[in-house]
Amino acid sequence: MVKMLRDTVRKLFDEKKVDMVIGWGEGTLPLSATPVFIENADEADTLIWDERCSNNLAVYLTKDKRHLVKSGKKIGIVVKGCDSRSLVLYAVENQIKRENLVVIGVTCDGVIDIKKVMKRTEGKEVLDLRIGDKDITVGGRGFETVVAKKEIISDFCLHCAHPDAPVHDLFIGQPRPANEKADVYKIVDDFEKLSADERWNSMVESYSKCVRCYACRNVCPSCYCNECFVDQNDPQWIGKSPEITDTLIFHMGRNMHVAGRCVECGACERACPADIDLLLLNKKIAKEISERFNYEAGLDIDEKPALASYCENEKQDFIMG
Amino acid sequence: MIKIEKSKFSVFIQNLVGDFTVFAPVGEGRQSAFDEVADAESVNTALQNTVQSPKSIFFPQTEVLFTYNDGDVQIPEAADKPFFLWGVRACDARSIMLVDKVFGRAKQRPDDPAFEDPYWKAKLDTAVILTLACNEPASTCFCHWTGDGPFEQAGDLWAVDVGSSYLIESLTEKGKAVLERIENASPAGKTEAAEIDSLRTQAESYLGDLVDLSELKDRMKQMWDDPAWDDIAAKCVNCGACAYACPTCHCFDVQDEGKKGKGKRIRLWDACMFPLFTKEASGHNPRGQAADRVRQRFLHKFSYYWDNYGESLCTGCGRCIYVCPVNLDIRTVVKRFLDIDAAV
Repeated sequence: MVKMLRDTVRKLFDEKKVDMVIGWGEGTLPLSATPVFIENADEADTLIWDERCSNNLAVYLTKDKRHLVKSGKKIGIVVKGCDSRSLVLYAVENQIKRENLVVIGVTCDGVIDIKKVMKRTEGKEVLDLRIGDKDITVGGRGFETVVAKKEIISDFCLHCAHPDAPVHDLFIGQPRPANEKADVYKIVDDFEKLSADERWNSMVESYSKCVRCYACRNVCPSCYCNECFVDQNDPQWIGKSPEITDTLIFHMGRNMHVAGRCVECGACERACPADIDLLLLNKKIAKEISERFNYEAGLDIDEKPALASYCENEKQDFIMG
Repeated sequence: MIKIEKSKFSVFIQNLVGDFTVFAPVGEGRQSAFDEVADAESVNTALQNTVQSPKSIFFPQTEVLFTYNDGDVQIPEAADKPFFLWGVRACDARSIMLVDKVFGRAKQRPDDPAFEDPYWKAKLDTAVILTLACNEPASTCFCHWTGDGPFEQAGDLWAVDVGSSYLIESLTEKGKAVLERIENASPAGKTEAAEIDSLRTQAESYLGDLVDLSELKDRMKQMWDDPAWDDIAAKCVNCGACAYACPTCHCFDVQDEGKKGKGKRIRLWDACMFPLFTKEASGHNPRGQAADRVRQRFLHKFSYYWDNYGESLCTGCGRCIYVCPVNLDIRTVVKRFLDIDAAV
């Protein structure tokens, strides 16, 4: 698969169909891949694709990296299902010209969540990793453990219905159709059954760990405002210190702002240096959007976003309270 | 140097809790941090190091400088008990001393105006820091590059975990006073010294190749306009995960929180990665591009601080490598500027 990917990219350069390809390369830690930006055929061999490739690379087309898109360069980008949905979102929101991208899909069975691996090794550092078909073997000083992949892939991936890029120009392997996942909103349903106090306490417990480094926001492809509301200081919308009320306003504000735009890639949760569970609120918003508007972000370039269109048969119960 | 059995560790902590606020490594994974403990059972003794650094003990993420109410200004009272830190690694003990050059005793150069930050000093001057030798450095550790080592002696007390017991040595008068409180300790002798040597050799063998940083300061400055910075910054997403995990990053913001003449002035962590950090009142931002901010972070660590204080502002703890969401590895950046084969 990796060889096919490299051959494909090499060919794209040889045929002058791309000026740059954004993909993943080998990282410096056993469990990490790292984004790479390659500009010629020779560099194609630095590309890798496996369960460590957890970043959503679409993020490199907006925000501080917008100059890449503005340069008019023809950009190839290697994508998982979720990443390709971010590109669709960008096209729908007029952030990119679809024809300037060469979207290279790869078969995805989910990416590793490092905190789950660390739980399995009981905190011991992983120095060696071997990826098999169904499981991975992690080793360190004085231990080696075999873990089934499904036990260490991100919770977001466990809930993923579109693992293979629904929109692509090239595909490495054979893309599979969307799958129906049962119980995708079970954690939300369970949460909604709690009392208001219990929900509040759970939120406080979870989000009080936040250090406000904004890694979640900065790795999120859907968060690309020129200036985020938390960075504005005239007027200043929220306090900058990690007081729980301000922190919750940041997170909930972010969730609301990506409502109907979140592709549920889970990059936010995997980036969090404090291991905060960010899945729940993402799923809550996804559930609302799905139930109210029967909409999933990033699947159809010609469909208007849920919150930027209106249908007469939409639920209107919120108006009557 | 004395020896205390690990079975007496809880007595040791208990003995201190009355007179000190005791901080020690607690928690697991990326939530591991130095936190206040009431007993030895809460201490996580299995960690290589905490992911959150101990800098927050002396330089909290948010600190109230004073409160005000209709012209009446109150400065918060200092903590009633001195701090005792158990189990700080050598890199972190040194990081506290590096930040202390800025906040605590800034008169490093004759032309420096003397300035002492009262909030920092009140906490640090009375604190007792016990450094625990690092028997098993992580693969992200590179303290030997920055002039340190897993068994370097630092702080007020220095301890080594030799399996069934801790060997503890006092390095300062403050440390000595704590050591004298310990009952049931036996003196350590030649056998223990040999044990320490063997553990030190093993620990050092876990570290990677040594890189000499002496030319880095000038190299980075000479390459101020080099396109290498754009390459390095390409993958950076400009979050503050590295700066907030870093034990030596000490930039801060000051904010007033309140209304109608009543409120508080707080000092809080800030980071050079954030655009707002340097945005001026006019709207102009001298570090408007992501690459400008990435360059600032590395130049502050390896060049500007070096100019002011004669060493780098990095202790090789490796936290930034561990928390970076895009695996932008500080070691790779350093190697690139020293022309050591490394792809960024």
